[in-house]
Amino acid sequence: MTTTDVLDVRAKARRDKRKRQSLFILYLTLGIAIFLGVWQVLSVWFPLYFPSPLGAVRHFTDNLMTSEWTRRWFAHANACPALIGSGADIPPYCSGYVLHLLVTTRNILIGAALGTILGLAAGLGSLVFPKIAEVFTPVASFFGTAPIFIAAPFFVIWFGVDVALLTTVGLITFYTTLLMYFFSRRAAENIPVGIIESALTLGGTPRSIFRWVYMPGTVPEIAGGFRIALAGAWGLGVLVEVLGIQRGGGFLIAMWRFGVGLVEWPAAVVALITFFGVLAVIVDGILVVGIRFLTRWAESGRRLGL
Amino acid sequence: MSKIVSFEDLWCVFEHRSGQLVNALQNVNFQVKSGEFVCVVGRSGHGKTTLLRVLAGLQPPTAGRVRLGDEVATGPGADRAMVFQQDTVFPWLHVRENIEFGLRAGKTPREDRERITQHWLAAVGLEDFADSWPRELSGGMRKRVALASAMAVGSDVVLMDEPFGSLDYFTRRNLHDVLLDLWRETQKTIFFVTHDIEEALILADRVILLAEGKLVDDIPVTLPRPRDEDVRASEKAVNITKVILAHLGITEEEATRA
Repeated sequence: MTTTDVLDVRAKARRDKRKRQSLFILYLTLGIAIFLGVWQVLSVWFPLYFPSPLGAVRHFTDNLMTSEWTRRWFAHANACPALIGSGADIPPYCSGYVLHLLVTTRNILIGAALGTILGLAAGLGSLVFPKIAEVFTPVASFFGTAPIFIAAPFFVIWFGVDVALLTTVGLITFYTTLLMYFFSRRAAENIPVGIIESALTLGGTPRSIFRWVYMPGTVPEIAGGFRIALAGAWGLGVLVEVLGIQRGGGFLIAMWRFGVGLVEWPAAVVALITFFGVLAVIVDGILVVGIRFLTRWAESGRRLGL
Repeated sequence: MSKIVSFEDLWCVFEHRSGQLVNALQNVNFQVKSGEFVCVVGRSGHGKTTLLRVLAGLQPPTAGRVRLGDEVATGPGADRAMVFQQDTVFPWLHVRENIEFGLRAGKTPREDRERITQHWLAAVGLEDFADSWPRELSGGMRKRVALASAMAVGSDVVLMDEPFGSLDYFTRRNLHDVLLDLWRETQKTIFFVTHDIEEALILADRVILLAEGKLVDDIPVTLPRPRDEDVRASEKAVNITKVILAHLGITEEEATRA
């Protein structure tokens, strides 16, 4: 094969790559277009259940900074609790969706972060101190077998509806801790025995093996577990708010039960649910970029969608 | 300083799932001088890997002991670095970091670590791949990384469990040359498990033959080095091959057919 041939082959490989990327964007756009098209058709046939996509967007933007509906039904429940009872005028933006949605997002991210730290500390720590596993595993297994959604009402009843930091953050922390504990343990167990034995015969100490083998080697599975935990955390966080918390996106969804029958009702509920869906996808996308960087050594990482 | 490795009354008994006891090693006794290249040859399941794992400290013996000089070898350690049959290069570390692993674990000062790593990168011909991920290397190159990692920790004894078994003929021959060069340079004691008689003839000073966990022969390989095709076709080499085949219960015709 001459040099020219090699260059031709390389150019063709680059063209093929660009073609694959273009096709990916084309299919993605097509998928979104079909989804929106079906949604639009359904909104014509069943307007009570399916507002038009544009209607949902319009409701969302109209109520983002200040919401007439929130003030009408829950004058006392707003996103600025510090002002309640202070005698000060409550600014209009406190009723807007944006602060409620930020509160939910903040609580979910804090809960997921705390749970991840605790779960990883227990899971990876148990590799160095096996006693941790002996104590933690039976307890985690007991709670892990119960569906987490059963725990949600318990948290609401136990910690009440006023202090969202305890209820929402507490539940998500609890859920994420359990999940990350099991994922980190499983990730460590899945590191081939040969790798550990090789490290030992190269003079690896528990500390160096933890630092240079377990820590990097468990990243792909732990990262995958974190994506699953965070996806669940969005649902869990909103669910707890729907159950009675007086602030947040879940509260807004629950509030709209007072609007059943109004023209605005389906658009409001769909807009709020869609917001969390889109937010979860965006956060997951950011995570994927970070995970790809951390697992750039793994051949299969990209193929698995990490 | 290198030490004599002694296997003394070594037994290793495993309990099968059915409850049956299997003697993986039976009363194995022999000594290996410092700097010797020993190939352990035998059929599959006849105790070669068990012998190496006991020496590495990865498998405690049921009875008997292994001594390194005057000390009884117990757990694993950097004084008996091992190259495994399977791919055990850390995929999440660059080639350079892989070779550095044992040095880091042993708290070698950074400057020494870098110097030693660079030396071994050059010795196995991977200088240009120092910052590559293992997944970017061929199987043969990954074996070179494993070899360099084992050599770099500065152990007197290097254990190799069919390290080139999964490689093609040409890569294997190339790695034989690399290994022999490193051995000559370092004068380390090398235990090399193989079931390939030709490989043993190319590499070994001595062939330890295991059959059903027993040491059935200890054959000095006094062929001149380098052991090219002519040397391996010599009468002396053919006779050694015949002895090994006879111990393994295989006739020369069967071996040729296989």
